[in-house]
Amino acid sequence: MKDIGQRFDAIIIGAGPAGSTAAYHLAKKGYKTLILERGRVPGSKNMFGGRVYIEPLKEIYEDFEKKAPIHRWVKKERISLMYDESATTIEIESTKSTSFTTYLTQLSQWMANQAVEKGAILLSEIRVDKLYRENGVFKGVVVEDERVLADIIIDAEGINRLLLEEAGIVERLSPDHVALGVKEVIKLDGKNINQLFGLEDNDGLSWVLIGDITKGIPGGGFIYTNRDSISLGIVLMLGEAIKRIDRHIYLLVEEFRNHPLINKYVRDGRIMEYSTHLIPEDVFALRPPKLYYNGLLIAGDAAGLLLNQGYTYRGVDFAAYSGYLAAKAYDYAHNNGGPTEENLREYTRLLENSFVMKMLKKFSGVSKLMKKERLFKTYPELINIMAGKLMHIEYDSYKIMEALKEAKKGRVGWISLIKDLWEVSRKL
Amino acid sequence: MGLDIIVGIKWVPNTTSVNIDPKTGTLIREGIPSVVNPHDLTAVEMALRLKDKYGGTVTAISMAPPSAISGLEHVIGMGVDRGILASDRAFAGADTLATSYVLAKVIEKIEKYDLVIMGHETIDSSTAHIGAQVASWLKLPYIYYATDIEYEENKESIKVKRILENAYEIYRIKLPAVVSIAMHTFEPRRIKVSNKLKAKLENVIEIWTSKDLNLDINCAGLRGSPTVVSAIDFVPKVPRKNLIFQEKDPKKAAKWLIEKLLEEGLIDP
Repeated sequence: MKDIGQRFDAIIIGAGPAGSTAAYHLAKKGYKTLILERGRVPGSKNMFGGRVYIEPLKEIYEDFEKKAPIHRWVKKERISLMYDESATTIEIESTKSTSFTTYLTQLSQWMANQAVEKGAILLSEIRVDKLYRENGVFKGVVVEDERVLADIIIDAEGINRLLLEEAGIVERLSPDHVALGVKEVIKLDGKNINQLFGLEDNDGLSWVLIGDITKGIPGGGFIYTNRDSISLGIVLMLGEAIKRIDRHIYLLVEEFRNHPLINKYVRDGRIMEYSTHLIPEDVFALRPPKLYYNGLLIAGDAAGLLLNQGYTYRGVDFAAYSGYLAAKAYDYAHNNGGPTEENLREYTRLLENSFVMKMLKKFSGVSKLMKKERLFKTYPELINIMAGKLMHIEYDSYKIMEALKEAKKGRVGWISLIKDLWEVSRKL
Repeated sequence: MGLDIIVGIKWVPNTTSVNIDPKTGTLIREGIPSVVNPHDLTAVEMALRLKDKYGGTVTAISMAPPSAISGLEHVIGMGVDRGILASDRAFAGADTLATSYVLAKVIEKIEKYDLVIMGHETIDSSTAHIGAQVASWLKLPYIYYATDIEYEENKESIKVKRILENAYEIYRIKLPAVVSIAMHTFEPRRIKVSNKLKAKLENVIEIWTSKDLNLDINCAGLRGSPTVVSAIDFVPKVPRKNLIFQEKDPKKAAKWLIEKLLEEGLIDP
């Protein structure tokens, strides 16, 4: 093992939203920053559904909304409950938007470029083998037979935390703590997309679908419109999926794409990309015991900093913001005697005072809801049957309560229904 | 002492993700990332093994647009000492003849070299012409399908093992020479931080234009390319039936598969 000649102030592991944002802010402050990325280019190893909430990003990048690779502004939100060949949908449309769609590869590369422009050095195709620790202090990383040293290591390696595992900081991922996202990107003409979804110019749609498309497994389907493609996929709680699916998960996406109510949107398209990735789900179980150690900070998915609000995820803005705060915390520690554990505790203080931890606490009940099968199977069924009774009139017409009574027959009792309603309204 | 080696690398669209436009017959390259031709990485690995064993230098050369600098950075990351990119609008549209001409001129200009190593072929065109043509331009001996090279220092020659269908041949060749390495012979080594830093920070990559090379511009690029693609024929698109056997018994699966293949007339009863 030999040390390479150069020493850095900071080594960032992973050029995703968390890593690149940390690097950007460190380089901006003049710290000698090295980003190590495993993929061929930033963004080649990460993945998301398709939408980013913009407000936090405007705070941490100058002119973000003018310069970043934004595809469409989400102005139409749909939430559908699916059962058999019917869907009951709520649609919320507005002229304003606080989120946009994009390709995560493009956004990741853009963020990494911001860091490089500020002077960070980005090396791709570098797989870090190990964090290097000396007397309990993290001092660098090991790549093959070389050691690279730095004052601070920011671990933004993502959800698959091989380095943190190796360092004994976290245990192996449990399937019960993560979800699996499976996604196709389907190429379609931009005009075609606007026509199909009733959009104009660069307005976008976000669509969440819950019900039997996941075969009753907690999770859901999603569709996002990009500039000239749509992202379509499903998310499944992995633990449940392992227990209950004995065929390839890809087939579930295929069935979703071929669903009679969905197929009309994608029929003319061509599949460009198929990808799958793990998503932090039970973030409290996932979180490392601490996010700061002597010489080490942990950010983004690796730290379990992703919010599941039940009907939407917030991953990119949470990750980027945690990277931003990690950079701030190191700056603080540097100016107060060095990156000791005590000084780096600043990171947790900053996180606790930011929307990141506040929102994670506020929505901490969601991961329990995600285990409730009734929400993903019984209620979508019930609502579609009830709506069917009300709308598909032949001779006799139904009153609302009458339809509800019929629909819930044999599915769920009044008491469970009211309890569930109460729980959902409290936790979401 | 040691061997001064030149390796040729090509910057190619990652063909695993390339589609062909059925109307125009051209590759849809929009948004398709490029990579170093994987078979060339095998050649780089051979060169680096020789350097590890006998000392010397390895120089990678390529003819491509400037975006290929990341390809040269990749091989420098593996341990190559220096990269030279022949890049000029006049080189665009080249077939293998014009490409090998420019590469030969680059090699001529490098002057001090013992051995040129190439990949077997490229994944985007698979002609396997370049090694032979470069050797012809340079009037050097050429051997292909090589799987191993040994340097015989005092004799100024190499022993090359080359693979045939069911035999090996061993040749002794005088240096300088051109050798292309059989695909999949080696697993290319990983990239190191120190090497990649060198690629980024130490100006080890040079760009040579037509002005830097002593060449006849009529032999380069489109003008120097006699090859004409007269037509591209498409394999007709057969709609996929997408049948999937869902049970787990392999015997049943095999039987099912045979039945389906018989139904389609793809095998004889």
